[in-house]
Amino acid sequence: MPFEAIIAIALAGALIARPVAPLIGRWSGWVFAVLPLSLFVFLAAHIPQIGVEGVLLATHEWIPSLGIALGFRLDGFSLLFSLLITGIGTLVVIYAGSYFAEKPPAQAGRFLALILLFMTAMLGTVLSDDLIVMFVFWELTSLTSFMLIGFDSHKLEARKSALQSLLVTGGGGLALFAGILLIGLTLGTFSFTEVIARSDELIAGPYLVPIIILILAGAFTKSAQFPFHFWLPNAMAAPTPASAYLHSATMVKLGVFLLARFDGVFADVPAFGVTLVIFGMITMSIAAFEALRASGFKAVLAQSTVASLGILVMLIGLDGEVAVVATVGFIITHAFYKAALFFCAGTAIHATGESSLRKLGGLARFLPITAAAAVLASLSMAGLPPFVGFISKEYLFEAQLESNWNMVPVIVAVLVNAIMVGVAGVVSIRPFFLNRDRITSVHHGEKPGLLVGPLLLASAGILMGFFSQYAAQLLIAPAASALYGAPIDVSFALWHGLTPMLALSALVVTIGALILVFWDSIHIVLRRRRVLHGLFGDRGYQAVHDGILGFARASTRWLQNGDQNHYTAIVVATVVLVLAVGMLASEDGLALALSDDPFRISVIAVLAIAAVGAMSSIFARSLIAALVCVGIVGFASALLFMMNGAPDLALTQFAVETLLVIILSAILLRLPVRRHHTRSLTERRRDGFLAVAFSGVIFVAIVSMTAMPLDFRLSEYFGQTSYLEAYGRNVVNVILVDYRAIDTLGEIAVVAFATMAAWALLRSATAKPGKDGKG
Amino acid sequence: MNIFYAAAIAAIMGSGVYLLLSRHVVRIIFGVALLSAGTNLLIFVAGRLRSTQPPVIEAGTQVLDPLAANPLPQALILTAIVIGFALVSFAAALAFKAFQTLGTVNTSDMNDAEAMGSPYASKEAKDA
Repeated sequence: MPFEAIIAIALAGALIARPVAPLIGRWSGWVFAVLPLSLFVFLAAHIPQIGVEGVLLATHEWIPSLGIALGFRLDGFSLLFSLLITGIGTLVVIYAGSYFAEKPPAQAGRFLALILLFMTAMLGTVLSDDLIVMFVFWELTSLTSFMLIGFDSHKLEARKSALQSLLVTGGGGLALFAGILLIGLTLGTFSFTEVIARSDELIAGPYLVPIIILILAGAFTKSAQFPFHFWLPNAMAAPTPASAYLHSATMVKLGVFLLARFDGVFADVPAFGVTLVIFGMITMSIAAFEALRASGFKAVLAQSTVASLGILVMLIGLDGEVAVVATVGFIITHAFYKAALFFCAGTAIHATGESSLRKLGGLARFLPITAAAAVLASLSMAGLPPFVGFISKEYLFEAQLESNWNMVPVIVAVLVNAIMVGVAGVVSIRPFFLNRDRITSVHHGEKPGLLVGPLLLASAGILMGFFSQYAAQLLIAPAASALYGAPIDVSFALWHGLTPMLALSALVVTIGALILVFWDSIHIVLRRRRVLHGLFGDRGYQAVHDGILGFARASTRWLQNGDQNHYTAIVVATVVLVLAVGMLASEDGLALALSDDPFRISVIAVLAIAAVGAMSSIFARSLIAALVCVGIVGFASALLFMMNGAPDLALTQFAVETLLVIILSAILLRLPVRRHHTRSLTERRRDGFLAVAFSGVIFVAIVSMTAMPLDFRLSEYFGQTSYLEAYGRNVVNVILVDYRAIDTLGEIAVVAFATMAAWALLRSATAKPGKDGKG
Repeated sequence: MNIFYAAAIAAIMGSGVYLLLSRHVVRIIFGVALLSAGTNLLIFVAGRLRSTQPPVIEAGTQVLDPLAANPLPQALILTAIVIGFALVSFAAALAFKAFQTLGTVNTSDMNDAEAMGSPYASKEAKDA
């Protein structure tokens, strides 16, 4: 199986779409659809092989030193996702070509490039066997999603939503990455095939709980589960073809994909399933409730998508064969009807320029085929026979009744599904058939490119219902078996007989019909309650977001307040702290030992002069006096060099110190001589404390350093080779001009640069005298 | 003896830090000068002061007398003295120029860059 070729072809399409699509013009959608379509056909040709062999694997070396390989894996489940990605991708590309027909050609090219890039990333994610490779593609989907949500980058709302989705899904991706690294740490491999084979080792390993939490964080952010459910409705700022593709049919199902994959790994951890059921139920309840309050066409669909993702997460959490079949079935069913409904919504909004359901009506006159597709898709969404949505819902209830849970999930599922029935009715009947007076003309009629997608998907819903046994054998059984880890005999059929599930379905439809009838009153009552505004929204996200920004602002204001004294104080305090902690924490401890060399009174006297000179410079009232004190320190250190066998140093220090005193006095003579305090008393006290602390640290450091043995090898090497190899007798000079010649050259360069800079400064200063010169 | 060296160097460097914390540019320069003097002595002491004999290979011998002073820190300090001198001279020229241009030796009055406003502040205002 040439996995790399699949990804490379998709990527090549993404790369050429931008420059080529504008050249093709209005047919670009149809032309570029050939690419995902051929991938779809190629993948579909592998259905029989997967049905027989189960799993296809391929591995290439990538980073062997880190144990990362370009590993790919195709089994029934990833095949199902690949087919959804390429199949719906084909329709999205066709649809987008017509959707952007009136826009500037470059915009269509950019959009197609992003969509194909996203498709590449999605294929990479679902086909990867190596978890690191999967993570790379996973993050790439987040990035392309960011680009697509922010596609209309001139709108503030689009930019905000794009950033929000990137922060949420990208942050979750990092959590997932940490989880993957912990898996690699436990098992020593990143291959998913090996992880699932050695799941017992993983469960017995030390990092089980962190791994589960981190993977859940990655999946919940991607699939918009509570408490991260808020980003998906906001992502509707994306152009509608992108919403249909990314934010309903494929990308947001990646979290579900990951959870379903790891459900097999954590099958023996009961808490994993329980967590999924609970969070799935919370998510679907919140989303269903918000769907009742939403008024935008796409917003209602987005909330129902979140609810469907919640249903999927709950189904993964349930045990048993039926739950697995229900999961797979619902993934397909939902992808079909939701993408179709998004297409219809896009056409309606595109034709009228209105996005609120309250302003749309009677569109069936202008968009008859779209209206028909919307009705077909919504019947599947409502779960009415003979649509595939009906079978899928039956399986959902069967999975719940067969699990060892109580009736709570069933009740939640009945209510949520009833609301979904209401939503299905509202989004198909109201904008297209009721309120004919609201819309009297449309900008555009229907075009073939806008119809292919919704019609194909909506009819697929009914065809799959009629020919359910083929769908079961070809797609659902291999996918479910791949998840379950053992072959499952799927009897995905329309008629199951008079079962409790049928009764629940009837109940759902009845309540749903009531919700549909009273939709307006429920909607208005819920919208009027101010308490409900933002109750389940992104208030928490905003608080964290603003909190981080506020913290950054406050710390910047404190750390970077423009006061040089403040900066220096922070640096000094940090140095003191780091040195003190380092010394206290060092393994050798502090050896405060006195060295045993003989006392030399003359040296002590010079040291005392240096210390007194230094401290006097602090208290000197005039700057000239302070300069004299600094000079004393310099000359004293020259004396110290002299007294300890360093005549070269002494000579240099004398010369430099003399020059320095001359230069500084020349400058000081032109500055105000009397100094005034530039620091308040409090500041001086604090600085004094810092200076004393710094001296203390330095003192302890020197005493303990000189008490330790020193490695003289380097010095001995210089002493021994200086004459024999470099032909010089003055070892210090030989080191400077021979062993470290480049270093000395650099030093000379520094002096030269400093001289040039000082010369330039002083020259222009004399050329333009006066205080107002801004040269 | 190490304790006397340590005390003197600590006093020099502490004074240097106190001057460095001032807002008076000339005192800051004095602080830099004191800190570099203290650092030179610190390197000197770190190489151990075991001898008063300069590290020069005497005529007639081919290797350095093991009793001579440690040449390595001396070579390092020689570089450091010159660099420190260049730094202080340049800083002094800069301070002089700053006083001529701005008419002040106090760093808290040298705030033309801050007066241009924070890039963050202007961004906030745009978002709000």
